[in-house]
Amino acid sequence: AGAVTLRGPAEAEEAAPVFQYAGKAARRKDRVFVWGFTYSGALGIPSFVKPDAGWKKPRRIQPTPYRLETEEKISSAACGYGFTLLASNTRDITKVWGMGLNKDSQLGFQRSRRDQTKGYEYVLEPSPIPLPLEKPQQTRVLQVSCGRAHSLVLTDSEGVFTMGNNSYGQCGRKVVEDEIYSGSHVIHQLKEFDSRVVQVVCGQDHSLFRTKKGTVYACGWGADGQTGLGHYNITSVPTKLHGDIAGVNIIQVSSYGDCCLAVSDEGDVFGWGNSEYLQLASVTETTQVNVPRHLPFKIGKVKEAACGGTGNVVLTEEGNVFVWGYGILGKGPNLIETAVPEMIPPSLFGWSDFSPDTRVAHVRCGLSQFAALTNRGELFVWGKNLRGCLGTGRMEDQYFPWRVTVPGEVVDVACGVDHMVSMVRSF
Amino acid sequence: GAVELVAARVPVLADHPLVRGPRFRKLKIGAGHRLDVKASGVFVLGIGHGNKLLTDLYNCHLTKVYTVGGLFGKASDDFSDTGNLVEKTTFDHITREKLERILAVIQGTNQKALLMYSNIDMKTQEAYELAVKGLIRPMGKSPPIITAIRCLQFALPEFQLEIHCLHETQQYLRKMVHEIGLELKSSAVCTQVRRIRDGVFTVDDALPRTQWNLQSIQEAIRNCQLKVETELEKTLA
Repeated sequence: AGAVTLRGPAEAEEAAPVFQYAGKAARRKDRVFVWGFTYSGALGIPSFVKPDAGWKKPRRIQPTPYRLETEEKISSAACGYGFTLLASNTRDITKVWGMGLNKDSQLGFQRSRRDQTKGYEYVLEPSPIPLPLEKPQQTRVLQVSCGRAHSLVLTDSEGVFTMGNNSYGQCGRKVVEDEIYSGSHVIHQLKEFDSRVVQVVCGQDHSLFRTKKGTVYACGWGADGQTGLGHYNITSVPTKLHGDIAGVNIIQVSSYGDCCLAVSDEGDVFGWGNSEYLQLASVTETTQVNVPRHLPFKIGKVKEAACGGTGNVVLTEEGNVFVWGYGILGKGPNLIETAVPEMIPPSLFGWSDFSPDTRVAHVRCGLSQFAALTNRGELFVWGKNLRGCLGTGRMEDQYFPWRVTVPGEVVDVACGVDHMVSMVRSF
Repeated sequence: GAVELVAARVPVLADHPLVRGPRFRKLKIGAGHRLDVKASGVFVLGIGHGNKLLTDLYNCHLTKVYTVGGLFGKASDDFSDTGNLVEKTTFDHITREKLERILAVIQGTNQKALLMYSNIDMKTQEAYELAVKGLIRPMGKSPPIITAIRCLQFALPEFQLEIHCLHETQQYLRKMVHEIGLELKSSAVCTQVRRIRDGVFTVDDALPRTQWNLQSIQEAIRNCQLKVETELEKTLA
């Protein structure tokens, strides 16, 4: 009798059914997470602004990452000043979605359902942006970029599409006096460059285009020299930049405010534009630089650069992160401004004796925040926590890199003024 | 005739154990961090005056290191392999890469908890300096925090992890194994919890069952004295 009862539980175990939750072919899913200020609609979740149930209250700030449901896999995202663009590199007709502020038609024309002649001023959920493509079922959208009130969409075979405010020529077309941008249908197409455009970047009121040959074109507001064309006037047609980058193969450009940075294939950094916050003080004392200048930093070969409103950050080949400029730079409250790049210790990004392979893979900049992505898929943020845009869950500014808890491996992040969007792969 | 005094030696009975009694009558022995019945490994005890050192060591909040063994495919009610079976699941989709990704996330969230419970104002330069050196630690009560975790062995269905933690219980570690199983869309039970380091004491300093005698204990205390003193000075200074 004793032997039978001892065998009992083991036999019951053998006979128990086996459940399968995930098979061998289970794929990791691609997701989009958003956080920050909601009332502009830039997060794309209407129930935060206009609650759809009686018990729900409007949520002004989303302090931690919140999942945004999208129909397609989003390959590129960009955050502007109060609006967001999401793009997918699909061949379907709808390739770009926009949400947030639309007072200057930076999201194209969004027909209002109440009045068919007018457009929406605030778009609360991701709405398709109709692009005037010649071959809508073949062209793919590679990248999007957003500035203060204009946006750029880069396609693989039909050039660059621009929409939004053009009062300074930032859309690359002639400035029309007294043009009304609200509810405008105009989407301009730019094709005349020396070779195919591979990267588009929006500054606050100017646009930068980088071509395959390594040249940079600019148009828009130039009062701080951010167009880099040697003058301080506005430019309404994309014009090639010279100065120290003439003949240099540029592999990356970056801008978000009024300062611009470019990285060459040899790892050199070039800058132009606003230097009121010591961004270019290492080469000149003037506060506006209107011609690209080489920044002679001795920090090693630079891989990637990101420009913010008052501070800049670069990532070197070895995986070190250097910051300079003004504001909360990430080395504690004592470092407020520096003209020379200072390194942020890698131990703050998760490097330790226990995990010596952890290094930063990408750096991104918002207007007054910084973000860094490590090769382990972790996201670190620091800077001014304007309306919860850091995503840490707290409302205080962050003076050194802090991990953001995201349920997944962060693939890319886009930073705006008061919100951020990240593309994440689930585990 | 002359009187001769002859010295004769007789044993003194005052020192005889049967007369004197056992040498140690009341020994104050205190235990360090708890180790439950199903676990094994380093267990620190203090004798006599050493109990005061035990309190000081507790206030140092040093990390403990465990090797935790797990088994995929089963879930039980007390998270160990001796409990009642709750569910059986498949586990052939689990790879070492997926496990390491989950471990990286666990380490990340616990790193945040480390900074949050340390009660240092994040806005000071001092907080930044400590964070760079990795010396921020909760110096008071806090929920269990894992400071480092990595996979030592992986052979489906078994795996072994090395976990560095603070303020934990062994049941918390078993629950962690169960949660790792859930996160990998399967289930796991814990087969082994072994503490290999408790603050400054490692397995090499520990005495096995065969050496539980006075000589070895005294020697062990002497060997560890220096280590304990330096650690206490460093942390409580």
